[in-house]
Amino acid sequence: MPTLRELQTLFESSLLAGDETAVIQQIEGDGLDPRARLAVYRHHVFTTLTAVLETAYPVVCRLVDRRFFAYAADAFIKRYAPTGPRLTEYGAAFPDFLASFPACEGHPYLPDVARLEWAIHRASHSSQAEALDHARLHSVDPADMSRLTFAMDPSLSLLASPWPVDRIWRAHQDGGEPAEPVDLGAGGVCLEVRAAGESVTLHTLEAATYAFRDALARGLTLGQAASLALESHPFFDLTRAIQELLENGLFDDFALTSEEGG
Amino acid sequence: MTGQLGLPSRAGIGLRAPHVGELLTTRPAVPWLEVHPENYMGGGAALASLESVRREYPVALHGVGLSLGTAGDIDHRHLDRLRSLTDRIEPCLVSEHLSWSSTGAAYLNHLLPLPYTEESLSVVAGHIHEVQDALGRPILIENPSSYLRFRHSTIEEPEFLAELTRRTECGLLCDVNNIYVTAWNLGLDAASYMDALPAEAVGEIHLAGHAENDADGRTILIDDHGSPVAAPVWTLYERALERFGPVPTLIEWDTDIPELTVLLDEARRADNLLAAAVRRDDHAHAA
Repeated sequence: MPTLRELQTLFESSLLAGDETAVIQQIEGDGLDPRARLAVYRHHVFTTLTAVLETAYPVVCRLVDRRFFAYAADAFIKRYAPTGPRLTEYGAAFPDFLASFPACEGHPYLPDVARLEWAIHRASHSSQAEALDHARLHSVDPADMSRLTFAMDPSLSLLASPWPVDRIWRAHQDGGEPAEPVDLGAGGVCLEVRAAGESVTLHTLEAATYAFRDALARGLTLGQAASLALESHPFFDLTRAIQELLENGLFDDFALTSEEGG
Repeated sequence: MTGQLGLPSRAGIGLRAPHVGELLTTRPAVPWLEVHPENYMGGGAALASLESVRREYPVALHGVGLSLGTAGDIDHRHLDRLRSLTDRIEPCLVSEHLSWSSTGAAYLNHLLPLPYTEESLSVVAGHIHEVQDALGRPILIENPSSYLRFRHSTIEEPEFLAELTRRTECGLLCDVNNIYVTAWNLGLDAASYMDALPAEAVGEIHLAGHAENDADGRTILIDDHGSPVAAPVWTLYERALERFGPVPTLIEWDTDIPELTVLLDEARRADNLLAAAVRRDDHAHAA
C-alpha cells in the first residue's frame, strides 16, 4: 500500500508523463478499465490548462490554428506544469518553449508574438503601483544623479523584435483573418507595454529610448543606461529621456547605489 | 455552524467573470453570491469589482486552490492570500474541497481524488485546522465528484467527511450533483450516501449540471457545470432539504456559461423548493 505522498507522486507522473502502470494497480475498476477512469482526470487537466494558455495567447492560437495550438500546449504542459493555483501567472515560459519547439520552425516570428502577448497579459493582471512623489527626487544632489537606479512600473514590459510583431498582433484583433496579410519583411520594432487604468497600452519606441529604458529596467544606473544609449545612438537626447521617464510615471521608486554609474 | 454564518436560507448563484459587469449594472434580486477567491487575488480591477459586489450582496468564498489533501505542506503563500482576501471582503462563509491538486512540485488544476485512509484523514484534518486557525473561522468542506476510487481506501467517503467534522469542527458543503455523479460513476447509492452525512454539519448545498460521456461503452458522468441541473439531481435535492433542512443553496455554472437570467431562473427554482422546506421547518418547530 503506497503512502499518500507516494500515491500523489505516481498520480502526477501518470498525468504529466503518461506513466500509468504503477497507479493503475491502485485503482478499483468497478466495471470499467481503470485507464478510462484515469483518462477523465487527464482530459480535464489538459483541456483546462490549454484554455488558460489560449486566454493568454489568443493571437498565437489564431496564427497556428487551434489544433496545432492544443498540440503545442500539450507538450508545454507536460514539461512546464503550473507550480501554483494562480493561473493568470501560468504560461510565462511558453514563448521560449515555442522558440525551441521543432514544429514551430516554419513560424520564426511566433515566439516574439507570444512575448508580446505575455507582456499584454501580464500588464492586464498587475495591480496599479503607488505613484511616486516627485518631490523626493528633487532632493537628490545633481552630482549623485548618475548613481540612481529605478524600480520600474511593475506592469511594464519592454521588447525588441526583428519582426513587425505589433502589426501582426493588431491585424489579428478582430477574431478573423486580417484583411491584408502583414508584410513580414517590414522590419523589426521596439515596444513598450504597460497597464493604464483598466486597459493596457502598447507604444513603439525609438531604438535609443528602448536601449535606455531597457537598461534601467535591468537595474543599471542612470549613468550606465545613458552611456549605453549614447554608445549606439550619439544623438540620444538624455534630458528629454529623463523628463519622459518622469512624465510617463515609468518608475515608482528609486535608490542611490554606492557605485559610480557610467 | 450552519445558518448562523450570515447567508440567508435562499438560493444564490456562483458569480463568474462574464456576469460581473451586468450584475453591478442591473443589481438583480439574487439573495447571495459565491465566487472563487483565486480570481480576485491579483488585486486590480477584479478585486475592486468584488468589493462593489460585496457592498450590495452577501458573498461566500469558494476556494479551489488550497489542495487540502496534499501529503506535504499546504501552500502557505496561497493561504496568506486567502486570509488577506477574507479580511478585505468579510465573506459570510468560506469553503474548500475534499481533494488534492498539488504535490508541491506541480499544481494540476483539478480536484483530484484521495484514498480514504487513516493517513489521509490526519493529513486533511491537519490542513483544515491550519486554515481555520489562519482565517479565524470554521470553513465548509465540499464532497468531490469522483471518477475512480482507490483499492486501499478503508473508509467510505461520507464517513470520512463526518469524521473530519468531528476532528476539526468544520462544516460541510453538500454538493448534490457531486453525490449523484460519484454514485453513478462508482456504482453507489446516492440516497444512502446522503443519509450517511452528518445533517447538523451541512451549512451549504451546491447544485449544477453534469455531462454524459462514453467511456469504453459505459456512460460516465462528468461534473462539468455546463448545463441546467438534471432532473434526478432536483429529486435528490428535495431529499437533501428534507434531511438537512432549508440550507443556503447555490447554482454553479462554469462551462458554456449562459445569460445571467438563465442562472437566476435556476436559482428561483431552487428557491421555491427552499421556501417549502422553510415552511415545513416552521411547522415542525411550531408543533
